[in-house]
Amino acid sequence: MDRRTFIKTCGSVATFSLLSSSFFSRSLKAQTNRFKKYKKAILLDKQGNPLNPSSLEVGKQYIFFYPYRSTPALLLNLGKEVKPSEVKLSDGSTYLWPGGVGPQRSIIAFCAICPHQLSYPTPEYSFINYYPHNKPSKAAKKGSVVQCCAHMSIFDPEKGGIVIDGPSEYPLLAIVLTYEEGKLYAIGTLGVELFRDFFDAYRSDLKKMYKSFRRAKKKVDKAVVVEVEEYVKEVIYC
Amino acid sequence: MGISRRDIFKLAGIGAAIGISQFPSLAFSAKTTNRLLPPSKGKRIVIVGGGWAGVTAAKYLKREIPDVDVVLIEQRKMFMSCPISNVWLGGLVEFDFLIHDFLTPAAKYGYTFINATVTGIDRDKRRVYTEEGYVEYDYLVLAPGIRYNYDAWFDGDKDMARYTQTHYPSAFIPGSEHLRLKKKVDNFEGGTFVLVVPPPPHRCPPAPYERAAMIAHVFRQNEVKGKLIILDPKSKIAPKGPGFRMAYEQLYLDIVEYVPNAKIKEVDPVKKVIKTTAGDFKFDDANLNPPHQAADIAWKAGLVNPKTGWCDVDPVTLQSKVDPRIFIAGDANSVKGFPKSGDMANNQTKYMLVRALKAMIQGKDPLDYIKAPTNTCYSMVNGEPKEAIVINVIYDIDKQKRKPVKKKVNVENERSSRLARATFEWAKAMYRDMFS
Repeated sequence: MDRRTFIKTCGSVATFSLLSSSFFSRSLKAQTNRFKKYKKAILLDKQGNPLNPSSLEVGKQYIFFYPYRSTPALLLNLGKEVKPSEVKLSDGSTYLWPGGVGPQRSIIAFCAICPHQLSYPTPEYSFINYYPHNKPSKAAKKGSVVQCCAHMSIFDPEKGGIVIDGPSEYPLLAIVLTYEEGKLYAIGTLGVELFRDFFDAYRSDLKKMYKSFRRAKKKVDKAVVVEVEEYVKEVIYC
Repeated sequence: MGISRRDIFKLAGIGAAIGISQFPSLAFSAKTTNRLLPPSKGKRIVIVGGGWAGVTAAKYLKREIPDVDVVLIEQRKMFMSCPISNVWLGGLVEFDFLIHDFLTPAAKYGYTFINATVTGIDRDKRRVYTEEGYVEYDYLVLAPGIRYNYDAWFDGDKDMARYTQTHYPSAFIPGSEHLRLKKKVDNFEGGTFVLVVPPPPHRCPPAPYERAAMIAHVFRQNEVKGKLIILDPKSKIAPKGPGFRMAYEQLYLDIVEYVPNAKIKEVDPVKKVIKTTAGDFKFDDANLNPPHQAADIAWKAGLVNPKTGWCDVDPVTLQSKVDPRIFIAGDANSVKGFPKSGDMANNQTKYMLVRALKAMIQGKDPLDYIKAPTNTCYSMVNGEPKEAIVINVIYDIDKQKRKPVKKKVNVENERSSRLARATFEWAKAMYRDMFS
């Protein structure tokens, strides 16, 4: 993708994101083969009401489960407009990440399964976390990053989850959000999906947690958003 | 080193003369003439050794180059992990945490697993010999791990080496030695326990210091009145020196005695005396760790530099400098700045060797595809509560100089429960990568 095409595409994606989710997903699909559409799921607060974007505190990390009921995602409000950006994979291919949504275009979401070796937040621990700019990671010596402490892969959430440092081969998988009439929705994923590996690796754990493996793999049409600190007993920062 | 028919006769003669067959595969057993697998329709990559590097190579070669026939040959029936074995030695994790099967990844990723002992490599014919027959290769990934160089202590006295290995096992190669060492530690009733740190480079640089901490933890739990003396040929503990020192001083002050500059002059396992450049030490029990070298099969194949004891390789592709058809994975290779750790074996294999080999097969420049590895190494230093320290090194590839360079080093010497949890997560994730 050359600079001219990129700028043009950024503009069109930004415009499309204001329109209906089906139109947005069609346009995204047309521009990248890395977009995968899932059930459209409305994001809810703990009371079951549509999530108010202004309730998302800047610097905090939130969790919801999408597109499957067992696959966690991080939801972040960066407090400023997050622009679309191009994400390049190690095979040289690229895709366009649409940036933030919401009233300030500041809300973004990524799958919280580390694309390196699949660490993910459980009710016990979370090794993959967001570090706001005022709470930098010791290992990375900087903030505004997502880092997995298992093997120190570091990602840039403002640039579509690209790998800044560490062993991860892939960027974070983006969860594509839309903002329609004051409500936030998840509509699909963008990037390299590792759900199959995740289900293979954690089959027995997920079976225990969700009573059956089939239930763990159920796709959702609504997702409750809570603070990571509420969901996880111990958040492991490094 | 190509092995001709004449060489085979010569070798068989030597074997008969000294009563030991160094090359049993080439000693005219009818089975060695068996072709274990039919010729491959396309290219075949054979991997010798199913440790951290070998298992990683098998998975990622098959994944990256699906039309290539990938064959992994390993002599053990089950995988036992050396990383985390110190934590098990300290009683902090069950034995089955270390154990994995070779069959699940072979079935999942579609490579062939052969459970056999490799007895020789004929580089001219491109054959790997086992007791059951041979396998032909287009490319060979040799991931043989290490061997103990008891000769440095006993000058070729095999009886003394065997005695030492039996009575005071090193336990840097997974298996019975670990189980025996654990019994020794658990049953130690008092006196002096000596741990000899091998000279660098050796497998897993911080492992002897972590092992010392875990042994001291067990002694403390068992209320043993005893000393653990660490004899280190180096002048100071490294890596994570401050973290280990703090642990020894704050947790095990009455147990651990660290002796630097203790280069081995003489080991007498019968009289239980070790003479070093820092003095002589008597012991009641011990973990005696001789120097490490590349494993036997690499020597037999003529791939080891006898001056270093390791295999010389191109530092970015890990291709043998002796034979371009052979790549050396994991601890047996010699790349300046790379530690011989499980994490590094996994990373360098996945991001350097596999990508280089794929590029070469496809006629591309490997430098365009190689990704610099990282190395993350946790060390458990306390058992109650579980606390660990960590070092993480991020490398870069200097393409002009064609070598890896350290880009960033992060060390956390302040022990914490948080890092202990990360230790287990690190291990689980590595096992997932290789075996799930």
